[in-house]
Amino acid sequence: MKNIVKKLIFVVAITFFVTSCHDDLNLSPIDPDSFTQEDVFATANDAQGALAKLYAGLTLTGQEGPAGQPDIADIDEGFSQFSRMLFNLNVLTTDEAVVGWGDPGLPDLHGMSWSSSNDFTEAMYSRLAQEVSFSNSFIKNATLLNDNTDVQYYIAEARFLRAFAYYNLMDLYANVPLTSEISTDLPLQSNRTEIFAFVESELLEIQDILKPGGSNEYGRVDQVAAWALLSKLYLNAEVWINEAKYTECVTFSNYVINSSYSINTNDANGNGTAYDELFLADNDTNGAQNEFIFALNFDGLQSQTWGGTTFLVHAAIPGGGPAGWDYADFGVNGGWGGIRTTKSLVEKFTSGDQRAMFHSDGQSLEIASIPPFKEGYAITKFKNVDTNGNAGSDTGGDFVDTDLPLIRLAEIYLNYAEASLRGGGGDLGLAASKINELRERGYGSTAGNITSGDLDLDFVLDERSRELYWEGQRRTDLVRYNYFTTNSYLWPFKGNVLNGTSVDQFRNIFPLPTNVLSTNTNLIQNTGY
Amino acid sequence: MKNFRIFLFSVILLFPLAIFAQQTVKGNVTESPGGAPLPGVGIIIKGSAIGASTDFDGNYSLDNVKSGDVLVFSYIGFTTVEITFENNTTINVVLKEDAQALDEVVVIGYGSTKKEDLTGSVDLVTSKDFNQGPVISAQQLISGKIAGVSVTSGSGAPGEGQEILIRGLGSLSLTSSPLIVVDGIPLNDGGVGGSRNPLNLINPNDIESMVVLKDASATAIYGSRAANGVILITTKKGKDSEFKFNVSSATSSYVAIDQVDVLSASQFRDLVNSTGDVDAIDRLGSATTSWQDEIYTNAIGTDHSISALGSALGVPMRASLGYSDHDGTLKGDNFKRTTAALNVTPSLFDDHLKIELNARGMYTENTFANRDAIGSAVSFDPTQWVRDTSSIFNNYFAWTGTNGYQLNLAGTNPVALLNLVDDTAEVRRLVSNAKFDYKLHFLPDLTTTVNVGYDKSNSNGRKVTSEFIPTSDTSWNGSRTRFNQEATNKLFDAYVTYKKSFNEFHNLNVVAGYSYQKFEFDNYSYDSEKEEDGNDFEFIDKSENVLLSYFGRFNYDYNSKYLFTATLRADASSKLNPNDRWGYFPSLAAAWNIHKENFMQNGIFNELKLRVGYGEVGNVNGLGDYNFLTRYTGSQSTANYQFGNTFYQTFRPEPINEDLRWEVGRTYNIGLDYGLFDRKVTGSVNVYLKETQDLISSAFIDPFTNFGNRIDKNIGDMQNKGIEFTINVVPVETDDFKLNISYNVAFNQNEVTNLPFDQPVGGISGGVGNNIQVHTEGESPFSYLVYKQIYDTNGAPIEGAYVDRNGDNIINDDDRYIYKDPYADVIMGFNTDFSYKNWDLAIVTRANIGNYAYNNVASSTGYLRRATENDVLTNLHANYLNTGFGETTEQNLLSDYFIDDASFFKIDNITLGCRVDNAIKDVALRFYGSVQNVLTITDYTGLDPEITGGIDNNFYPRPSTFVLGVNIDF
Repeated sequence: MKNIVKKLIFVVAITFFVTSCHDDLNLSPIDPDSFTQEDVFATANDAQGALAKLYAGLTLTGQEGPAGQPDIADIDEGFSQFSRMLFNLNVLTTDEAVVGWGDPGLPDLHGMSWSSSNDFTEAMYSRLAQEVSFSNSFIKNATLLNDNTDVQYYIAEARFLRAFAYYNLMDLYANVPLTSEISTDLPLQSNRTEIFAFVESELLEIQDILKPGGSNEYGRVDQVAAWALLSKLYLNAEVWINEAKYTECVTFSNYVINSSYSINTNDANGNGTAYDELFLADNDTNGAQNEFIFALNFDGLQSQTWGGTTFLVHAAIPGGGPAGWDYADFGVNGGWGGIRTTKSLVEKFTSGDQRAMFHSDGQSLEIASIPPFKEGYAITKFKNVDTNGNAGSDTGGDFVDTDLPLIRLAEIYLNYAEASLRGGGGDLGLAASKINELRERGYGSTAGNITSGDLDLDFVLDERSRELYWEGQRRTDLVRYNYFTTNSYLWPFKGNVLNGTSVDQFRNIFPLPTNVLSTNTNLIQNTGY
Repeated sequence: MKNFRIFLFSVILLFPLAIFAQQTVKGNVTESPGGAPLPGVGIIIKGSAIGASTDFDGNYSLDNVKSGDVLVFSYIGFTTVEITFENNTTINVVLKEDAQALDEVVVIGYGSTKKEDLTGSVDLVTSKDFNQGPVISAQQLISGKIAGVSVTSGSGAPGEGQEILIRGLGSLSLTSSPLIVVDGIPLNDGGVGGSRNPLNLINPNDIESMVVLKDASATAIYGSRAANGVILITTKKGKDSEFKFNVSSATSSYVAIDQVDVLSASQFRDLVNSTGDVDAIDRLGSATTSWQDEIYTNAIGTDHSISALGSALGVPMRASLGYSDHDGTLKGDNFKRTTAALNVTPSLFDDHLKIELNARGMYTENTFANRDAIGSAVSFDPTQWVRDTSSIFNNYFAWTGTNGYQLNLAGTNPVALLNLVDDTAEVRRLVSNAKFDYKLHFLPDLTTTVNVGYDKSNSNGRKVTSEFIPTSDTSWNGSRTRFNQEATNKLFDAYVTYKKSFNEFHNLNVVAGYSYQKFEFDNYSYDSEKEEDGNDFEFIDKSENVLLSYFGRFNYDYNSKYLFTATLRADASSKLNPNDRWGYFPSLAAAWNIHKENFMQNGIFNELKLRVGYGEVGNVNGLGDYNFLTRYTGSQSTANYQFGNTFYQTFRPEPINEDLRWEVGRTYNIGLDYGLFDRKVTGSVNVYLKETQDLISSAFIDPFTNFGNRIDKNIGDMQNKGIEFTINVVPVETDDFKLNISYNVAFNQNEVTNLPFDQPVGGISGGVGNNIQVHTEGESPFSYLVYKQIYDTNGAPIEGAYVDRNGDNIINDDDRYIYKDPYADVIMGFNTDFSYKNWDLAIVTRANIGNYAYNNVASSTGYLRRATENDVLTNLHANYLNTGFGETTEQNLLSDYFIDDASFFKIDNITLGCRVDNAIKDVALRFYGSVQNVLTITDYTGLDPEITGGIDNNFYPRPSTFVLGVNIDF
């Protein structure tokens, strides 16, 4: 009997001990960098950190800076930064740039021979889709805090960023899924008409929810950004949805033109033009910021990435420090010797136009072979020095402070002119005077001024190139003019041929990535790929 | 052998002299062959608890022996001898060495069994069969000894980690290494930072035996941790005897034998003179520097250990201390290790309570020579001097720009890299456990076991980079990083064992238990550069997970003839969501000892056993801890975002997978163990098939459906199948002379059998983002995916010419094809042990056939443009002389030209030893000399054909090692 009691106690004790341990299986993160949804959306103030990630999603590449804990897998983290990929897809594929590096898939971009498994087209798709997912999740969670007026602005900004991501997805890939809520169900494919309608309706809806023009803090978008994106959207409507919307483009361009934003005319470094100030390390304070409707904010210490302007500054200068180059002029510790331009861009400028920021010393205008950095003029537009010539905040010279405008007022001027020429009903006289504002800044004088009679579509296209080169616009412009794939316009090594050749028209849009197609069987590949 | 017969004969002759009273018997036990005295032999009177053991000289004395008692003389690794006592007061016994004694006790999970009663595929290697010579880590002890077990060192660095694969690659991205259990404590699979090899914990001299459980019928009792097999390490224990001591000491000399084949200074000078422009020619220096000679050197290592075993106050115990100090062949590399182990095994309450207390501690001091120097030495211009008095970098030559600082894209002087970076770490690890076996007084057939274990590792490391290191950073003033990492593994096991024989022939052994393990890590790091930038400079990374299990095993045998085993383990891991958390892993096995059948009694077989088994095991080892939870990661202060004038920490939602399930492996195994001709020929054959389902791997997902484009996911299936064959032959055995030859061979094939879409893997250097390998359905994991090179009539590769496999006139990704994989189809070990009188000679050789390697050094450094690009000079791989390649391109890097057959035959080790008994009174000595990494025969063009993972780049060459050592027993 005693034994049985003993046994019983033993069994009960063991059972008690053992089952109490089952609760130990329910663990939650103990890492100080790990947060729960309740932490992140505890208050409106806390939610600002999640909103910041939506902006950072287009600016940086992960949570460590410059690299580590990347947002996107399958690609070197530095390559995965949005504006660097936008450069690769929208600039490198055109007359504005060539790159000497042999990283897989990279030479195929200028050569216009990319395949559907191209690393850059895939990573850009992932980056933009992720931005949509981040935004969808943010909107859902922030809505629960909705009694706060600040949160109303946050949500409207998240909707703007989602519309911006879809604007790019529509431009680059055309037929992508449209999702406004995050779900593990595989989404269905949408077409450009549906996405266009979504982006348009979102922007129209949030234009009055966003803060009034100029009233938000630097780095966050306001009402004018919605108008500017609508201007861009309507300008391309004929290509994307086969329906001209130039009148609407003129309308919204006008809103922007009449807004609080202004062209920077402050030649702070006194070099004869106020154009270069737009791309200096202090462009968030030197006056340029008044022109930036939507910009990515970089910082050499606190917002580090191997993409963005860090890429634009380093990659555009040679690695060996040959004669005629001084890295101190650029505020960095050296060059990566990668990207240059073709003569097609160089030859668009006439003398006196100080927007032509080329380094020709030791460089050849003609490109016989793409890899050597010496072939093709180098571009000195982006620098990490301020208006006083002092280097940016990273004393090591790696990371750049310069912010990068994604939409600035000058572009909207040009949208206005082009839409007017395409029958949008704008005032060509106003268009000419607005373009002259840009040219006067570029020349530092009225020497380059035009009259409304000089305005035609090709002039505007060339002017866009002169004003906006290397700012991520060129491919979209060339597609709109039907110059991108056709033989109406050729440039060195277009189609991987020395003097250029036409390529198949299907290359006006990029392929859906092979990996995405094999994961989501609802999707059908774009024609031609 | 002959003497033994005479001895037995004399025992029988003495038989009539027996008198019937209790007496004392004395005698001496020696081993055969060799005739050396055997200490520690157990002698008991059969059926009683009365016993004794031999002392150092092999002498014993046993009281209270009655005529007719049967004395059992047993010693692990020797055939047990039973002698009936017939009043002869002196009994001298010779024990014969038995390579695979059937009554050897083999540790299996949560218990042990006799070898003859095993039903699974289990290999035992005991200390006498361990590899000899300069063995620093436990894994090396069994390299080449067991069919289907490959042991590959990560590099030639001292104390380096060893990758063990049992029966091929078991998982695509989870851990593929086996579970290692030391005296019942399953170890953490990862180490802490600053550690070269987690198993450095154990001084190899402390290991008594290693048991490898290969098939799932044997491993399933370890359930989710055993997907890749299990290695059970049993350490030496105290014995109930006088104290005995062992001192061993060895000195190793490492000779750097291999270097990457690069252009010599004069070849390089000629090349630049004939192909470079004026600027490039201008840059040529006047020196003849072999940079690899500058960074490698011959090195020395020493190992000392002392151990004592015996019993004090009736409690058996063993204590040992070990110290190793090894330099590496990369200048400045050093590994120092101190180990201490204590084992106490008291028995209480008439042996009803057996207690085993183990504590093992390790302290290592690592000095890591900067391995960046390895790649740099391959590429640095051989015409430059090491020193340059005009250099601002402590007079180390550097490629500088006009400001005197190093050019951004220039390589850094390898000698400066070695001398100006100081990277050290200390690692401490303590593994201790207390095991209680309690045989219930009211039910002696039932034993209750409780095992409590604690495994803690701690490391401190720091890396100081001098302010003088060549850099392009004009504001550089040196950097310091340091870290502190802690990993803890707590174990609680409780189980009961019920062992009973019914009606003489029916034997039952049932085990049921519970196990709880908690794994924690807590890492801290500091970065001085970030502090100077005003950023976050201290980082903490910590996590934990829990594994909770129930297990049971049912063994039944009929007269040791028909054996049957069934096990079941239920595991729950905190890494999985509550609905999929529990995994159930069963196994079934049966064996038939055919040689015990009557019809076999007169045959040549001493052993013939057929085994059939099936088992399931799971795997989540290596998976992140919280994949199923919604988590946000806060940004570090270098990744904040600016609104207005404020930088905000950002919060990113992490990719989430709520549906993760266990990766499950199912193994079928058929085996045959045999022993012939008085066990002079023994061995086994195994045929197996392992199918792993629901493989967990990082997989691409539609990024609209989650917060990223990849998550860890159950994505596919793979299988491993193969045949293993082992034979051990003793062709000659006399008292003076013994030859033992063993050979093992394993054929293994890994194949991904189901994968919805290809997974590129195997990143290489030379351009960013290139992958040379792929997981694809129908092929081996990590198969090479390459372009097919076109060759000219002389067999030289034509630059830029590849086969347009799909005929679309474009050479792009679609033209890549699967060509070979890094895993050997056949792995062999061939070992010879030879002894003559007190001399012994052991030769260990290994061969791998059908493994291919990608020569990334040749592919990324063997093209002409590299010599002069970026306004510096860079040396080329000598393979350039064969190819004349001018450029590197993605296609060039991914050409099958660089995939080489890396099959090899290696003489791993030759050891010659000499034993001197009674050199001084009661002191036995053994001297030995050993050579390791003696010879490699291969067609592989790179440095060393044995490359873990198959991508050969910046490999720290394995040196040849010459060792002299001595063992002293007293």
